Amino acid sequence: MSRKVCIVGGATTPFDYGPTGFESIEGGAAECIRETRKDIPEFSMRDIDLMIYSHFSVHFGHQLCSEWIIHDHLGLVGVPHYRVENGGNTGGSALYAAALAVMSGHHDVVGVVGWETMDSVSQSQGSEFIAMASDIRYELMVGGIYPIYYAAMANKWMKDNNVTEEDVATISAKNRNNAMDNPKAQWYRNEHKYITVEDVMNSRLISYPIKKYDCCLMSRGVAFVLVCSEEYAKKVNPDGYVTIDGMGLSSCTIRAGDRLNFPGWTERYGPGYPEMTEFGACRNAADRAYKMAGIENPLKEIDFGEIHDAFSTSEAQIYKALYLTDENNIAQFLRDKTTHMYGEIPMNPGGGLMGYGHPVGATGLMSMIECFYQLSGMIPKKHLSKKTEVPDPECGIVNSHAGTGTSISNFIIRRV
Amino acid sequence: MNETVVLKKKEGIVKKPIFTEKKSYRPVNVKETGLAFIGHEISDDGNAMNQFLHYDQLYTIRHGWNSKFFIGLLEGKIWGTRCPKCGDTWVPVRTHCWNLDCNLEKTEWVEMPLNAKVHTWTIAGWSGRSSLKRLPIILVYAVIGESKVAIANELHGVKPWNVEFDMPLKIVFKPKEDRIGVVTDFHFEPADGWESSPTNKEKERIKELVEPVYRWVKTLE
Repeated sequence: MSRKVCIVGGATTPFDYGPTGFESIEGGAAECIRETRKDIPEFSMRDIDLMIYSHFSVHFGHQLCSEWIIHDHLGLVGVPHYRVENGGNTGGSALYAAALAVMSGHHDVVGVVGWETMDSVSQSQGSEFIAMASDIRYELMVGGIYPIYYAAMANKWMKDNNVTEEDVATISAKNRNNAMDNPKAQWYRNEHKYITVEDVMNSRLISYPIKKYDCCLMSRGVAFVLVCSEEYAKKVNPDGYVTIDGMGLSSCTIRAGDRLNFPGWTERYGPGYPEMTEFGACRNAADRAYKMAGIENPLKEIDFGEIHDAFSTSEAQIYKALYLTDENNIAQFLRDKTTHMYGEIPMNPGGGLMGYGHPVGATGLMSMIECFYQLSGMIPKKHLSKKTEVPDPECGIVNSHAGTGTSISNFIIRRV
Repeated sequence: MNETVVLKKKEGIVKKPIFTEKKSYRPVNVKETGLAFIGHEISDDGNAMNQFLHYDQLYTIRHGWNSKFFIGLLEGKIWGTRCPKCGDTWVPVRTHCWNLDCNLEKTEWVEMPLNAKVHTWTIAGWSGRSSLKRLPIILVYAVIGESKVAIANELHGVKPWNVEFDMPLKIVFKPKEDRIGVVTDFHFEPADGWESSPTNKEKERIKELVEPVYRWVKTLE
């Protein structure tokens, strides 16, 4: 890396479906920055020399170039800006772009604002809009929504790895229950209850083996992350900044069925990988991030993670793609609750997409913010208790994920 | 690929397709109104306002070099493509080879057999607005003939709990008059002679999950 990249602050609005209390996107962005300024008062709006906007869908936003509305509302005329879009990995990709800008030396202080307003249409219409990120010529009218594609992938993955419905249901319950300690989380603000594996098993069928509680939430929300050089970080948040020590971005096919036998994967990982069941782009992005950060044993060297639990099954698939476990041990890894708060590597202490919510353009940023809060010791201030605070963490992983695993980014974040 | 549609600006030759076979199956109550604010609501405390924007847009999906596949569906055929260099074959089609060593070699059309094998499957109990009344739906990713990839489509002719990995399938087209040149013009059915395996714990679990779906769909009538 030519120049160290740091994160010094960030905040989200509450995530919700319907009223959040910050219902205009530009108002939400302003409030996220005001909260960040409370945490790091030395940060001034005048310091920002680039803004990157993270927004997935104009179908939800009902406004082309809605970043222009936010940008001038923030008083930033004259500051360069552009929008990044990369499906569910929009947030991760925007952070990647911000890190590259700082790494190159061309920019010092980069603000990243992400948002989605998925409640501007009904939930079933929203599901169809998201499905327009599949190849609509072949897949929109067969299946029609993303959970069905994911379920088909997960069904075979679970058989191949001897993982049961109950095993992945532990993840659904874990993330929602973690969100009960997080006042901005959609689960806390709405259903507001602790759930069990049995509740997950009894929730309605979405697409076998995925039930309602195995799925993430459709949300409205805005998030802000401040990415900067180390020189700036030492100036505004000398005791609390974190560094992006590794990052990787990778890609896979838009149609899940096309990743069987894909030459680009065969030459990297040998025949039979990623099949239709593994997230090759996640593994490849992890390879890049681990190499950059010098991680050799991720389970031992990473203390916790905020990862893309669009479905409970995909969180389990991600564990494997990140080399936290393998096909011989994944079932026991889940049964041992290795990723629960008291486990070896807690995952999604902030609630994840199933608990906190999934306003697409804001989601990867939310994951990064939760990771930052853990590493900078801010959880007791941001959550309701210390229950979801990872004890003395030094290294976290942030994972953002698009399509059926079509674009995936991983970041290794360390406390200084 | 059809070279005649390539734009050759220098010679001033542009062979534009002339569309003579036109069909419309648009529901009569769908109208393009363009962008319009069509209503609003205000909260009882006067602090919040919602406005309703209606936006209805007709898109033209130009299939271009992929057209043969979709025209083939109207004719009850499954067309795939094959790389003349490495021999890889695909449905869904690729107009250029995916193998980097083939340097985007243009592919050739091959008619595929009307049989396939289940690679993976799921049973949908929820779907997009346009599919709710057809639930539960068995969706399979299946490999047609010697294709290197799997294609998604529905499996009919079997109870949801009886679908199996690797089961042999046949491709069945809708009656000719009902086809519209989209992938749902065909579906999969179990190959002739295939029989489901005896009931087991997983089949019982799937039954338990889909029975409420059948009941719920009846309420949509």
